[in-house]
Amino acid sequence: MSVVFALATPPAKSAICVFRVSGSGCLKKLADLFGRGGFEFGRFYVNDLFYKKNIVDRVGLIVFKGPNSYTGEDSFEVYAHGGLGVMSSIVGAFRDVGFDEAPGGEFTKRAFLNNKISLNEAEAVSDLIDSTDERGVALSSKSLFGELSKKVVSFSEEIDSIRVRVEGDIDFSDEDNEYVDGSLVGDLKNLCNRFDSFVAGCINKRLGYEKNRILLIGPVNSGKSSVFNRLLGFERALVSNTPGTTRDLIGSELFYESSSFSVFDSAGIRETKDMVEEAGIAASLSQISDADLVLMVFEEYNPAVFDRFKGLCGDKPFINIQNKVDVNEPEVNSFDCCVSAKSGAGFDILKSQIVSAFDLGAKEDDFNFIIRDRHEALFKKVVLDLNKSHEGLSGGESIELVAEDLKNARSHLDEMVGKKFSDSLLGDIFNDFCIGK
Amino acid sequence: MDKFDVIVVGGGHAGTEAAHAVFRMGLSCALVTFNQKTIGQMSCNPAIGGLGKSHIVREIEALGGIMPLATDLSGIQYRTLNTRKGDAVQALRVQCDRELYKKAVQKIIKKTNIKVFEEEVVDLVIKNNQVKGVITKNKTIEAKKTILTTGTFLNGKMYTGEIATKGGRVGDGSAIPLSKRLYDLKLPMGRLKTGTPARIKLSSIDTSKMEEQPGEKPTPWMSLYNKPKKHQKQIPCYITKTNEKTHKIIKNNTHLSAMYSGNIIGIGPRYCPSIEDKVSKFADKKSHQIFIEPEGINKDLIYPNGISTSLPHKAQEDFIYSIKGLEKAVIKDYGYAVEYDFVDPRSLKSSLETRFFKNFYLAGQINGTTGYEEAAAQGLMAGINACRAIQKKQDFVLERSEAYIGVLINDLTNHGITEPYRMFTSRAEHRLLLSQNNAEQRLLKKAFGLGLVEKERYKQYTQKEQQYQDFINKELKTKKLKSFVNKENKKINLQESKSVFSLLYRTDVNKTKLFTTNKKNNGFYKRATIEAKYEGYIQKQTREIAKTKKQNRKKIPKNTNYSKINGLSNEVKEKLNKNKPETIGSAANIEGVTPAAINLILIQLKKNEMQKQNV
Repeated sequence: MSVVFALATPPAKSAICVFRVSGSGCLKKLADLFGRGGFEFGRFYVNDLFYKKNIVDRVGLIVFKGPNSYTGEDSFEVYAHGGLGVMSSIVGAFRDVGFDEAPGGEFTKRAFLNNKISLNEAEAVSDLIDSTDERGVALSSKSLFGELSKKVVSFSEEIDSIRVRVEGDIDFSDEDNEYVDGSLVGDLKNLCNRFDSFVAGCINKRLGYEKNRILLIGPVNSGKSSVFNRLLGFERALVSNTPGTTRDLIGSELFYESSSFSVFDSAGIRETKDMVEEAGIAASLSQISDADLVLMVFEEYNPAVFDRFKGLCGDKPFINIQNKVDVNEPEVNSFDCCVSAKSGAGFDILKSQIVSAFDLGAKEDDFNFIIRDRHEALFKKVVLDLNKSHEGLSGGESIELVAEDLKNARSHLDEMVGKKFSDSLLGDIFNDFCIGK
Repeated sequence: MDKFDVIVVGGGHAGTEAAHAVFRMGLSCALVTFNQKTIGQMSCNPAIGGLGKSHIVREIEALGGIMPLATDLSGIQYRTLNTRKGDAVQALRVQCDRELYKKAVQKIIKKTNIKVFEEEVVDLVIKNNQVKGVITKNKTIEAKKTILTTGTFLNGKMYTGEIATKGGRVGDGSAIPLSKRLYDLKLPMGRLKTGTPARIKLSSIDTSKMEEQPGEKPTPWMSLYNKPKKHQKQIPCYITKTNEKTHKIIKNNTHLSAMYSGNIIGIGPRYCPSIEDKVSKFADKKSHQIFIEPEGINKDLIYPNGISTSLPHKAQEDFIYSIKGLEKAVIKDYGYAVEYDFVDPRSLKSSLETRFFKNFYLAGQINGTTGYEEAAAQGLMAGINACRAIQKKQDFVLERSEAYIGVLINDLTNHGITEPYRMFTSRAEHRLLLSQNNAEQRLLKKAFGLGLVEKERYKQYTQKEQQYQDFINKELKTKKLKSFVNKENKKINLQESKSVFSLLYRTDVNKTKLFTTNKKNNGFYKRATIEAKYEGYIQKQTREIAKTKKQNRKKIPKNTNYSKINGLSNEVKEKLNKNKPETIGSAANIEGVTPAAINLILIQLKKNEMQKQNV
């Protein structure tokens, strides 16, 4: 396949940036790019990189020989300084020696085509790349390193062990064994419940797991929109000094310290006769229940107003912010954080407080795995079949139909964990029960 | 020199069905056996049927075989297993009179033009990798096709304690020269073992101390079509149990058992362990059941099913005397383990013709199976396919979704065996389609087409099917009800009246109270209830079958290089490169190509498509 390259780090100013190059023949171009050859595989070199015979940067270089590389092909990685100028020069240098820019997911696709990773893993890698915060990364790596597979395998084994008893009851009913009793119904119910909650704990990537939702609230004209804009680093909300300018919830994404947040600005809350604004306020109140964190923005500390807003938050975590400290005296004892949207003062502290507020949140336990449509569809069928088998077993349905439901449940998982052949099922029966006249 | 269309070597359950199928299909057949008197011999426990097995017997019947009739001519206790479960997993099990069974088979064979030779086959006539006949100690017999059904006679060895005797069954010799010859041919062979309990005199046991297990009333029949006029005298079986004393004796002697002495290398069936195995593997089980099965109506002998053993004689006596009702048992023959050779069935085509020699078929225990029913089914299929080949017609292969026989042969030829192969209903993924009661509906039309059943029988069958359809259309679909009784015995009123037929599909309806009919139509009604009950599942299975078929039809490009597919074993790569299968289905039919290998090929095909798009 052709030689492709891609910037492996985000296209933004940073300390270092990493380029990846892969494809047969890429190693022949090393001499053109680095002015020398003879690089050993898997060693880290520091070397100058040239574009049209001019030094671009002094970079780090590792060369991989296929199949012992991520893609399974000959490949190398370049660690350069993270300036935008450097990046564009390196892109130029690669194009100059005939490399093509890789489309998204190309490296993982090649890894899959070269049998370096399984389909499940390939999907997980692409989730990993797409995930925009650390939680997403953690979830993806669980799938990547087989946690999802392990979980599914363990459920499959549980289904198998129930099938052992049901099939035993069918094929070896005249043996002196107790296969199907009350405990089996209980075990099956238990399995159904746990599988249900496992599926509930899976997040379908397509639907997008919820970003951490941050909502700004506060009295009218406390400067929420300015805080919002300062947080995101650009003009978004309509800002004016006229009270009640912000009428709609305005959302945007904030990226900070490898985390991502959805930030919503709301209309200020006050007693109002303006019907349009009332609607906006109602909307902002309902937003509170969807929010994961509330930023309360005030101009000054007023216990009555503060308590009223705190009451609106209910049990949501909140950060209590004093804005406009450029004109007012900071009241550090009454607020969590004192900022000036105008000057930018205090925003570093605010951002780190936001991050740590989410670190304390226990959301991570609720979601365990990122899954694909393919998995989701399979899991839903498993849930149906398992519940049907339990209904059948507890309702006195013919056991061969219960067996059929269990077999179907199990066969949906075959695709992920491999088929259970009848012979190994029989083997389990023979191990668990004394069979044989 | 004698010349035949087909030679069958071996007169057991596989051999007799094979020969009989050849006869039915109108070709000439020689049956060569050690000893004419042992034709149709039941060498293990005297019973036919059971789970997965009665299903096979009924299929044999639909294909014109002899086993069901022989069973009914000798049946002395009939019992339907799983009566509380659904139709698909109910099974009839019949205790037979060993002598009567054998006589019945011999009588059936005598009525045909099958020529029986009492000879020992010592070699095969092989020219250009084709088997042209057999050489016995006295003569050469030629045939277009040869079917070997030699059971456990290949290099058979019996063990009791430390004593080893050559032979496949007590009282019979072992076919060593033929076995040696097959080994010289370097066929893929392996070794298996099985065991048998001591045989005890009925007059010496006290059945009053045991639980009596009477037969089913009214006594059913194994045969659905060609049944005898009257049942044999029906006699009960008995159940007794081992106890802690028995287990102690066995434990103290286990080291003396042939199985544990390291003399036996063959692998035994896990579903039929010796009593030594049971006691050591399930140490917490305080007792094990023993079924006392009579050997015959007038025979002073029982088969104690459940205590097969290869312990020394003294230890056998001791543990048997410790069992309730067997305290004064007189042992006629001692239990033994038997070890024998089998040919790896993956070297067979689905017609049961070997891949290594043309015109050469293997059937029965030689392929690693156990059980009369499994053997008979293979014999029947080998016989049919030998004839089909002579008639220059397509192989007769049954699908897994069509018959247990299809499951059996597909499992054997695709997956091979790791222990003596016995049929269980759980082996059939399309179990709900395969009831012991619908074998005719699945197979009779095919059997008629093959010439296995006579026109009269087929006519009767089609008439019956027509009557069934009429019953559904004229009674079940016509009769409308305004209410029904549910499973809680409550009357439920319907908003608009519905036909009985449509109510059959409702799960809350009490089916017995839904419809009453005369005796003749009762069977039809029962069948309609069963079909309605399984309908949803069967539709699902049918879709699955169609899906597999679709996958099987997927074409593999001619230039596919299997050496480049990662994950395939070298053996599989070699075979695929050599055979160049045209479709996934035919790749799957190559010996040793596992479903996992098929998946790898499918992924490779998908990759190729992706790569093509990439270029």
